[in-house]
Amino acid sequence: MNNPKEITRVLFENFQPQAIYLFYAIGYVAIAVFIYGVYVQLRKYRRGKSDGSWNDLLHRFIDMAKTMVSHRTLVRRDKSAGRAHGLIFFGFVLLFIGTSTITLEYDILRPLFGVQFWYGNFYLLFSLVLDLAGIGLIVGLIYMMYRRKWLNLPKLDYKRVDRQVGDPDFDRNQYRREDWAFLWSFILIGVTGFVLEATRLVWLSGRPEVWDYRIWSPVGALLAQLMQLIGLTAEGASNLRVGLWWFHGLLSLTFIACIPYTKIKHIFTAATSLMFKDPLAGKRLPRVPDEQKTAGYKTITDLTWKNLLHLDACTKCGRCQEACPANAVGAPLSPRDVILSLREFANHALSAKEIPKEAELDIHGKDIGQVFMETLWSCRTCLACVEICPVAVEHVPIIVQMRRNLVEAGEMEPLLEKTLQTIHKTGNSFGESKRKRAAWAKELPFEIKDARKEPVDVLWFVGDYASFDPRNQKVTQSFARLMHHAGVNFGLLFEAELNAGNDVRRVGEEGLYELLASSNIGTIQSCDFKSIVTTDPHSFNTIRNEYPDFGGKFEIEHYTTKVKQLIESGQIKLKKKLDYRVTFHDPCHLGRYNKGYDAPRDVLKLLGCELVEMARNRDNSFCCGAGGGRIWIPDPVGIEKPSANRMKEAGQIEGLQVFVVSCPKDLTMFEDALKTSGFEGKFIVRELIELIDECIEYEAWEGLPQAV
Amino acid sequence: MKILIAVKQVAALDEDFEIRADEKDVDEDFLLYDLNEWDDFSLEEAMKIKESSDSEVEVVVVSIGPDRVDESLRKCLAKGADRAIRVWDDSIEGSDAIAIGKILAAVAKKEAPDLVFAGVQSSDHSYASTGISTAAYLNWPHAAVVADFKYQPGASQAVVRRELEGGMLQEVEINCPAVLTIQLGINKPRYASLRGIKQAAAKPIEELSLADVGLSTGDVGAGNSMSRVRRMYIPEKGRAEMIEGSLAEQAAKIIQIINEFKGA
Repeated sequence: MNNPKEITRVLFENFQPQAIYLFYAIGYVAIAVFIYGVYVQLRKYRRGKSDGSWNDLLHRFIDMAKTMVSHRTLVRRDKSAGRAHGLIFFGFVLLFIGTSTITLEYDILRPLFGVQFWYGNFYLLFSLVLDLAGIGLIVGLIYMMYRRKWLNLPKLDYKRVDRQVGDPDFDRNQYRREDWAFLWSFILIGVTGFVLEATRLVWLSGRPEVWDYRIWSPVGALLAQLMQLIGLTAEGASNLRVGLWWFHGLLSLTFIACIPYTKIKHIFTAATSLMFKDPLAGKRLPRVPDEQKTAGYKTITDLTWKNLLHLDACTKCGRCQEACPANAVGAPLSPRDVILSLREFANHALSAKEIPKEAELDIHGKDIGQVFMETLWSCRTCLACVEICPVAVEHVPIIVQMRRNLVEAGEMEPLLEKTLQTIHKTGNSFGESKRKRAAWAKELPFEIKDARKEPVDVLWFVGDYASFDPRNQKVTQSFARLMHHAGVNFGLLFEAELNAGNDVRRVGEEGLYELLASSNIGTIQSCDFKSIVTTDPHSFNTIRNEYPDFGGKFEIEHYTTKVKQLIESGQIKLKKKLDYRVTFHDPCHLGRYNKGYDAPRDVLKLLGCELVEMARNRDNSFCCGAGGGRIWIPDPVGIEKPSANRMKEAGQIEGLQVFVVSCPKDLTMFEDALKTSGFEGKFIVRELIELIDECIEYEAWEGLPQAV
Repeated sequence: MKILIAVKQVAALDEDFEIRADEKDVDEDFLLYDLNEWDDFSLEEAMKIKESSDSEVEVVVVSIGPDRVDESLRKCLAKGADRAIRVWDDSIEGSDAIAIGKILAAVAKKEAPDLVFAGVQSSDHSYASTGISTAAYLNWPHAAVVADFKYQPGASQAVVRRELEGGMLQEVEINCPAVLTIQLGINKPRYASLRGIKQAAAKPIEELSLADVGLSTGDVGAGNSMSRVRRMYIPEKGRAEMIEGSLAEQAAKIIQIINEFKGA
């Protein structure tokens, strides 16, 4: 056994003092370049507006650390890429800790305090762990190279859907070059590290305290023996090592210096982005401060520092683009491109010493880095992008903020403008008289209570589509009968109910939203009730998540939860089982927005249906295309509608009988799509309420009028 | 320069409306108020001049009506009008378009604008004469149903294109100051966002009485109008019936109907 103090790695052995000074000088320069880059980045973020996400920092940090250690968000819907990233990530982290350990001892503890610990068993374990880390890193990088070169993944194609061939920012080739430069330099650092290790072993093969313990750096040992096999001598190895040492060292230092200037910065930006993640992003949109003159984002400096940070966190993985319903049907929108455009804009405009004039900061338009209004209006605010982003980029709030500015400037579809005016005038998107809101209830054989006049247990917020759309009125009547049959003490707001405002807000007409929300909140607060129920996921979302910001804190349930409870408690007795083969479409505002994935499925099970899932289900559900006010904007002719795309997906299910929805807008969208995409007669679209209705034996007097 | 725009808050009928007890109008409970559609276009036309001009252009909107009209005026202010004036006195109730023209002319005399815009007509009463009577009281030239407008701020003449029957346009040179009634479709009116309308609440609306514009109760109201509403009612609907059956049966039915009409 050698003296454990001797079992360690040589540092700077045989180096001239000048060479060591030179190396340190270069090291300091690299660090200075790094720090300056970080300063420029931070200065950029400070040029954004303030954001109140500084609360609960410890909690946020723990959440971020958990996400990073588990790689939870990275393995979602792309296991291999996530795992390969895990190898690179953990490899890099360990190697970084390793290098820092050496610095800690060699440059700090030993010279200052004479403390030494990097030797003996600790050194051997250290050596083994770092060898494994290095292998992980290289294997991960090789997979990533393979993936980029041979898998031809559409999401890794940076060609833009909103630009034409020939436009300067059409194919974004500079990103591809950066990707490859990153992969190659990183893998070279790893590979040269191992070769360096091997040459050191060969060079010092005469020293037992080195050579006898070579197995603790297995990769280096294997390479060293191969080198000896092809005739490398100790002297040859020593010579080779000097050159390699400088190459490896300089490359590593360059890599560090480059971090804040290149995609490598995602090490920091992605982590902080995760840390400042808003769990309600998009579900609860930001208010416009009363004192603010204009609404929404017009210039890059209107973005908050958090927005600017999110822009830098994007790693271009393309998962948002893959999940985007607008992108899927060829609309000129890729959430990634919106983020990248704004990032390029911010880097260009806000990294200089002085911020350019206001006129040069406009993010709307057709120039490089600007976002087209067609792009912004293509968004369905379905949150598929926000949901899947592995680094917590919040696309939808930025898109809505930009739309707010478009609305203020009147840059929108004439039909949408008309609808907004209609809603302002009549309180509903159908342009119907307020008095007709509860007209559907007149045909029922029982009276529904007026919650404004007498106390009720359950206040039913009906919503526009369920109130005025003739097809949905049937479902609304069925639900009324169901609640009545179950003995629920419920009531309506009648003509005092206004459009809940969820979609108005997502369009970007914040003033109108404030008007609708405050009117509804006032009305609801004047009623005596225990909780609210609604069949409309859109109303559900805004009442649940957004009304509290305006002083309206209410208990609210979507009907699927309520009905499940009523069946389980025996208040609703199912007299018959259905043997349908069904599939279920998660409405965005019930599923992704509010995590109501299980209740509708449980009800289907209780009804006896055989549920076959579509490939895109639950958090990956595919929007029907009606969200974000798109139900008021005609889809362009000639390209596929998202609803038709969904029908095709459902059509692949063998023997499918019923396509079940639990949202009034879904019923409208999919019944239409069923006809236009040629599946009529193959299966039918039904509201879950209608299936429940089939299983209840009503008394004759409870029957609904035939002609509705 | 200054442009005065006469706007009106018009009433739209709600479903299942009822006629007032005196049968002269619809029961106010069943009316939904909004800015007259034509006025959006005349305001936009003025805003276009304002925004393309190098020199100062003041856009002033004026309306005759009770408090509720402020909401429509605020919409105009939100779209960019500089000032708003509302003239009201309870005695104005029942005035016809000619009497309203008299009040507008009085406001115009006070404001001394270079141009007065009005909508071709209002969507509720459709007299299409308010703008013209204003011109008459001012003794200014006027052009009705303007579908295109060219004007250099400060110029003594404007060129307008008027919409005629059969898709024809008539190009007219008109001396200023003049009164123009603006037709739908002359431009694309901008959207007034609700936030804009809310913020416009900060801009004051000047409230004028009859005396402020040099008129008295003896000038306005139903009693001082040239026409008066006698009755408002829903005419009985004509009948239509689908005749079914074989040709012979259809013919027999028609003969029967004709005989009924003849009183046979």
